[in-house]
Amino acid sequence: MEQRLGSTWRMTVNEKKFIETALLSDLRTDGRGPFDYRNLTIQFGSEDGSSEVQLGQTRVMGFVTSQLVQPYRDRPNEGSLAIFTEFSPMADPSFEVGRPGEFAVELGRIVDRGLRESRAVDTESLCVVAGKWVWSIRIDLHILDNGGNLVDAANIAALAALLTFRRPECTLGGEDGQEVTIHPPDVREPLPLIVHHLPIAVTFAFIGNESTVVIDPSHFEEAVMGGKLTATLNTNGDVCAIQKAGGEGVMQSVIMQCLRIASVKAADITDKIKKAVGLDGGVVEVAHERYESGLWTLILKNGGVWLLILLTNWSSKEAFCSFTLLHLLEKLRNKTFVLVGKAAWKGVNNLSKEMEKPKMKTEDRSINQDDMEIEIHSSKKDGSSLGDNKPKAFTGGPSSWDPYSKGVNVDELKASLASRAVVTPKEEMDTSPPLKPATDESLKDADPAPSSQETAGTTEHTNEAKTLKDAVKPKHKRKKKKNLHHLFETLLETRLSRCCNVNLLCSLELAIVACN
Amino acid sequence: MDLEREGGRGANQLRPIDCSRNVLSRAHGSASCSHGETRVLAAVYGPKAGTKKNENPEKACIEVIWKPKSGQIGKPEKEFEMILKRTLQNICLLNVHPNTTTSIIVQVVHDDACAALIDAGIPLKYLAESGKILLDPNKLEEQKTKAFVCLAFPSSVHSVLTEGSINGIITSLTHGVMAVDDYFQCVEQGRAAITPLSNILKKKLQSQSAE
Repeated sequence: MEQRLGSTWRMTVNEKKFIETALLSDLRTDGRGPFDYRNLTIQFGSEDGSSEVQLGQTRVMGFVTSQLVQPYRDRPNEGSLAIFTEFSPMADPSFEVGRPGEFAVELGRIVDRGLRESRAVDTESLCVVAGKWVWSIRIDLHILDNGGNLVDAANIAALAALLTFRRPECTLGGEDGQEVTIHPPDVREPLPLIVHHLPIAVTFAFIGNESTVVIDPSHFEEAVMGGKLTATLNTNGDVCAIQKAGGEGVMQSVIMQCLRIASVKAADITDKIKKAVGLDGGVVEVAHERYESGLWTLILKNGGVWLLILLTNWSSKEAFCSFTLLHLLEKLRNKTFVLVGKAAWKGVNNLSKEMEKPKMKTEDRSINQDDMEIEIHSSKKDGSSLGDNKPKAFTGGPSSWDPYSKGVNVDELKASLASRAVVTPKEEMDTSPPLKPATDESLKDADPAPSSQETAGTTEHTNEAKTLKDAVKPKHKRKKKKNLHHLFETLLETRLSRCCNVNLLCSLELAIVACN
Repeated sequence: MDLEREGGRGANQLRPIDCSRNVLSRAHGSASCSHGETRVLAAVYGPKAGTKKNENPEKACIEVIWKPKSGQIGKPEKEFEMILKRTLQNICLLNVHPNTTTSIIVQVVHDDACAALIDAGIPLKYLAESGKILLDPNKLEEQKTKAFVCLAFPSSVHSVLTEGSINGIITSLTHGVMAVDDYFQCVEQGRAAITPLSNILKKKLQSQSAE
């Protein structure tokens, strides 16, 4: 322990002078420019939620695991996220086993602030039974090799692991609906986490006296530097965290310049992460969310695909048409709008039949294609093709909607979303006119399809209380299908449970909007 | 006995092994080894000055740190550390560098079966399942069995021992109940499997050092 003097490594004066003088002419010892990152490679282990990041010589591994625990008292319907950093002695001879040193704690805190406090991971969707069971996500970061700039690499490893992590699906059961059964992966496919944005940490080192700034310092540069600044940003232009703990004083103009450079680099790295994870890795960003006067709108974005979800009740459809749609269209200006499908359902009872029929077809579709394709080409090319897959319609009358009572029947929501079943209510005719003027002609291709459905629609009112669980197909093996609808389900569950009624009659319209 | 194992292996076949050296830049020595799905990363630092308190200063001291994939360090990890340490102490020549400490840090990357893979020692795992003996089990097979044995043999190429214990067993670790005959059979099979294993490792390591 204390006798291991041979493990400390000191920089020689020659090396220090060499690095400083080289930087005066904008040269770094490994040939990079002052604002160049080293090579970043992201690899994944065979399990979900394990990643290995190599940034130059620095290697960091991230593992994500989950567990059902009791929530904190003051946040009964939120899950939790915890980050543990392991400065393994294999990374550096000066790292000791046992309690983390102050550098390890600092690194853990920076990553924690970026991920947890900026609410990058949606913790409300981790709630299973409010007040009793929530998912607790644990991220373990193992530093394998210290080649400099551990913070950035650790952050990327944590993000990559989170994006590929899948948590088991669990359902409520038992007499009072309080028992939770966790399904193993071969029975029900596990779900990805909902990540709102990717906070990327960018580290700058201040070397020498003439405010020389370099990005992504290597191990030698770290030994020479006078101060360090880490800025955590995301691609939306938000600054999630800034850490400059001591070190040399730096002028404000330099810090502002660093932030500007950091935002460019953050965009770069986000692209690389997304590419490594694969666009279908469950990165669904919530681009817009609004609840107003009986109407709730949500826009989700997955890569290049945008999904618009509108939830309203029958009587306020005028409000929805006029106000929200225009507002939304304005937001998504210059995008190609294609109306792909709409789904509506009524009450608790009547869905099961409808769900069973279209399930086969739509499920196949969702299995075979990428998210990009399912939205884009099936609709752009031939809007009417979807019309064939739509099941019989049924309509219902308006009803009261109390936004402040208990939640909607979640199973219905799941079934309706999972099948993406399309049922056309009467109002489709009403909504298509306002849509027409605002969109381009590709929409018109899709319009004839819904209207044809309209005529084929029949009203069915069955009073059998069939459970929708029968309608939900059990998923057997893990397929490589997209988990987008799982994400929608969980997102919608949490949001809707706050504002909908069990006996609600409401229409859910899914308009898939594809953008170029 | 017809056994159907995952991946079509016979009762006496090993999983595919891969090994690479010098994977870390800061460590004095490092290796990454994988047996099928199990992957382990090991790094060595040393010899460093000084020994721990209770160790003999006349000999070199070996310190093993075992890091699991996630979770707290508990008793099983300590047990692995002790096993590895004792195994290695018998393999290495300890008198060459007295009063030094060599640290070996093992990081489990993926755990498909309890793996104690080190450069020098070549432990093998067996399990006895109601009369049938399978070599090199993976996690599922391990969970189903009655007993398993972990054996470490010196291979004649890597070991430096000259005291005639070339065919002896360095370490033997058993879990569960098995018949004495089964145990001896495991030992025989293990010894037989040493040669192909050590040949594979030798080839991989040599080809790397030649680069």
